[in-house]
Order: sequence, then C-alpha cells, then structure tokens
Amino acid sequence: MSRSASQSASQSACSASSPPPNMSAEQAALVEKHPCFSKGAHQFARMHLAVAPACNIQCNYCNRKFDCSNETRPGVSSSLLSPAAAVQRFAKVKQRIPETQVVGIAGPGDPLANPNATLATLKAVGQHDDEVHLCVSTNGLELEDQLPKLLEIGVKHLTITINCIDAAIGEQIYAWVYFNGRRLRGKHAAQTLIDRQLKGLKLAIEAGMLVKVNTVLIPGINDWHIAELAEELQRYGAFVHNVMPLISDPAHGTYFGLMGQRGPTDEELAQARSDAGVSMAQMTHCQQCRADAVGKLGEQVNVDEIPEVVPAELTVAVASRSGEYIDQHFGYAKSFDLFRVGKAGVEALAARDIEAYCRGQNECDEDEAQLRMSRALHTLEGVDVLLCSRIGLPPRQALQEAGISVNTELALKTTPEALEQIRQQLLEKSAQGSCAKECG
Amino acid sequence: MALRITRSCIGCNACKLVCPQKAVVRDAHGYAINAHRCDECVSQPNPPQCGEICPIECAIVDNEGRALNPLGSLTGIPCEQEQVIQLTELAGHV
Ligand code: SF4
Ligand code: SF4
Repeated sequence: MSRSASQSASQSACSASSPPPNMSAEQAALVEKHPCFSKGAHQFARMHLAVAPACNIQCNYCNRKFDCSNETRPGVSSSLLSPAAAVQRFAKVKQRIPETQVVGIAGPGDPLANPNATLATLKAVGQHDDEVHLCVSTNGLELEDQLPKLLEIGVKHLTITINCIDAAIGEQIYAWVYFNGRRLRGKHAAQTLIDRQLKGLKLAIEAGMLVKVNTVLIPGINDWHIAELAEELQRYGAFVHNVMPLISDPAHGTYFGLMGQRGPTDEELAQARSDAGVSMAQMTHCQQCRADAVGKLGEQVNVDEIPEVVPAELTVAVASRSGEYIDQHFGYAKSFDLFRVGKAGVEALAARDIEAYCRGQNECDEDEAQLRMSRALHTLEGVDVLLCSRIGLPPRQALQEAGISVNTELALKTTPEALEQIRQQLLEKSAQGSCAKECG
Repeated sequence: MALRITRSCIGCNACKLVCPQKAVVRDAHGYAINAHRCDECVSQPNPPQCGEICPIECAIVDNEGRALNPLGSLTGIPCEQEQVIQLTELAGHV
C-alpha cells in the first residue's frame, strides 16, 4: 500500500500520463480539500445530491430496486431530488456545515445517464457557491460525450468505476449496457463499456481533471487482474485508485448476492491493494458512502433536522393577461412581469418578453414546442418563482428542472395580492427558520 | 399501438429520457406511456427505446400484456430466486 509507488514509473509510455508526484500546484490544491481524494482532508465535508435516477448499464453487484452498498447509491425512489430541491438542500447543509467543500453527484443511477439533471444541479450549486468543488462519479459510458459540458461548469473531480479492462472479465460483471439505442449484452457490451471508459479517462485527464478510479474487488473474477488494471490506470495518469470490497449480502437481491458470489476477506482486500499499489497510489480511507451522503467522512448527518435556508429575496415572474390578475396560461404568455420580493417589500423589475411558448393545439409541433420552451427558459433565467393561472405538465417539469418553482395556486388573485402572499410566506419561513413545505 | 408501463416500474426515469416521441409521462401516480404519442418506435431504426433501457423485468408490456423484458431476461437472476425476492417484497420484509 505504497502511496508513492507510482513515482518509480514516471517515464511511462502514455503521453497523457502525469503521475501524482509531478502534480501542478492547481491540482495539489484540488486534492487538498477533497475528503475522498486525500486522507488529510477529512476535516472537510462532502455532500452527495441524489438527482440522477436513470442508469445505462446493469452491474451484477447492483439491484436497481434496493439500496446498494457497493456503488454509492441509495434506492432509486427513496430519496430522489429535483435539481431545484437539491440546490436548496445544499444551501441548507452549507449553512449548517460550512466545511462542506465538496458537492458530488453519484446516483442513484449514473449521473451522466441523466445529463440534464446532473448538469443543472452542479451549475446551480456552483452559482450559489463558487468555492465549492464539484464532482461526479460515473461508470464512464457517457463520459466522452458529456466531458465538454462538465468542464464548462467547472467540474474538476471525477470518479470512474472501472472494474476491469478485459471484456472476458467484464462479461461476468455487467449484465447489459445500453449504448446508441440498443441494449448490448455479453462480451460486446463489456468491450463497449471498457473502450468508452478508457477513452473518457484519457480525455478527462488530458483536460486537467483529477480522476479517481473505483474498482469493486470480486474474488475469482477480477482479483487476479487488479495489478494489470492498476498498471494501465497509471499509464493513463489516473490520480488515485480505490479498490473496494464487493458487498454481496443476498438480502440486497443482487445477482452476485443471490448466486452465492462472496466478497473478499480482509486479507484478500489487503493483497489486492498491495498488488495495485505497485503502480497506483491506493486510497484506503474510503467509506463507500451513499449517493445521498452528507458531512465529513464517517459522520452521519440528518439533513431533515437542519432548518431550511430562507432566501433573503425571491425573483418572481408573473404571467398576466389583464395586467392586473394572475390570469394567463403559461403557454400563451407573451411577456412576464418581474418582481423582486424581499422581506421589506416588493419591487417591480423590467418585464421580459418571450415568443409565446405554445401557439395553440394545431401548431404545437413537438420540436418547435421544445424550441419555445428553451426560449422561455432563457427568458426566465434568474427567476425563482413563476406565477401563472395554468401550465401543462411537461413545461412545469422543465421549469422545475431548471430550478424555477411554479405556482398556480395564486391564480385569479391580483398581482399585488399574490406578491404580498409570497412575501408573507418568506417572513413566516424566516421566523420559523424551518418549513415543512417547499416554497411556492 | 402503444406500450404500457406496469406496476413493477421503480420510477428510474430512464425511459422518459430516451423516448424519441416524448411519450413517457410522470405524474402523481407514477410513470405511464401516452398512447397517442407512442408509436412503439417503429419510426426509428432501433427497438422500442423504453424497453431497451428499462432495468426492471416486466415493467414495460405491449398491448397484449407481453413483457418486453420478461422475468430472468435482464438481471440473469433465475426466475425462482427473483420471485422469492418479490414475495419478500410483498410481505414487507425489505
Ligand atoms: S416504444 Fe418508443 S415511442 Fe413508445 S414509449 Fe417506448 S420509447 Fe417512447
Ligand atoms: S425505465 Fe422502467 S423502471 Fe425506469 S421509469 Fe421507465 S418503466 Fe419505470
């Protein structure tokens, strides 16, 4: 378990390689404050936001129906957050635990199989707090395609789970892989995944990301292959390697669990880490935390007990046909009146025009509707709450995914009445410091 | 001509993300396929996309109730054991 073993091989064949000892100052700073990347960073806290339910592969150590202890993943439906709710949750935790330096998205599925939710959440978190480190854990299948966007929003830490680089082994670990519109199986599936993982790994490292690789150690399947895998990772320039024991309790309902595949003993785990340690710095302080983990490593925090953060003010967009009442259907609104609602009062801002999102049933061609929706989203940038009389389900969801809460309950009140009501809610919330219902 | 989502669905949202017709909807009752929009993906080269990505056996069926992904076809877990899980699930042991 040598943390400096990778030094010996700095003359590696791969041009992408930049072994840890030659790290740039910038990279060193990235390591320093990340509890998962550096053992010394345990005073810093991390938070995982569970906004990504879909997955594009099936691993035999995972059962999508239940909480999974191998991957950092709670059950799919148990704790899912919308991006808007996720940012709220982050704000709340940050206020309570200011050491929260790291925000990650790790599931419950694969973050990059849910690119919109993942990117919207990270972007919003980054806007809320520009010092926080954003990270993503992925199986790597979609990494190549999503990498430019991840870089654009400032993601610098990446974890890729790579269990093997040999498709004959991969075929025993992955039941299927969904790629390019098809469910692939067998060796072909494994090869596709491995190729994409390595390509993504290479590009991410070239782009200056700090990449940790997770490997689930499965006795009899990939244990004898760990040294070879680590050597390859070192060639690519991965930063640290985290060999994690397979957890295969039959009660979790996984293929491995039910088929009697056992996890490694402590000795086998130590052996694998020392095998891998010949070429890759090993991470030994991993807690295998879940996709909704909060706080310092090894510490349990109940987010529901933390009072909600009440924003100082809200930007409210109003869809009004009469100019007096909240009486406009979102789809027909040509402009929105904008207001800033603070605890002290309401201030009118400049109205914003859009081309109406929907032009009536006949014309509502799908692609065009999508185009108008993106225009509407653009028009409503920076808005926290939208008031309108009615709105269809798809645009409501699209707005919520963009972090805008939609309120139709104040329909047919006058605009000043409605805004006053929102101001009262704001005051009430900050007085209580906590509120069971989400704003809007 | 349209597919349907059954009660086995765990709400992972994957089908909604890949459906080319935007036929998958989510409401308070869970996930469903809008029968007017779904064309069973005949308009495009690949098999029904929802069925290709759904991780749950028997969650998506055709209009005769046949599962696109029958028991045992996705996880590799032999049906018997799968059913034991479902039974314990029903009994609330999970
Ligand atoms: S069959 Fe195709 S069109 Fe129908 S719901 Fe599934 S993905 Fe959408
Ligand atoms: S992919 Fe399957 S399990 Fe996931 S939401 Fe769709 S039907 Fe439900």
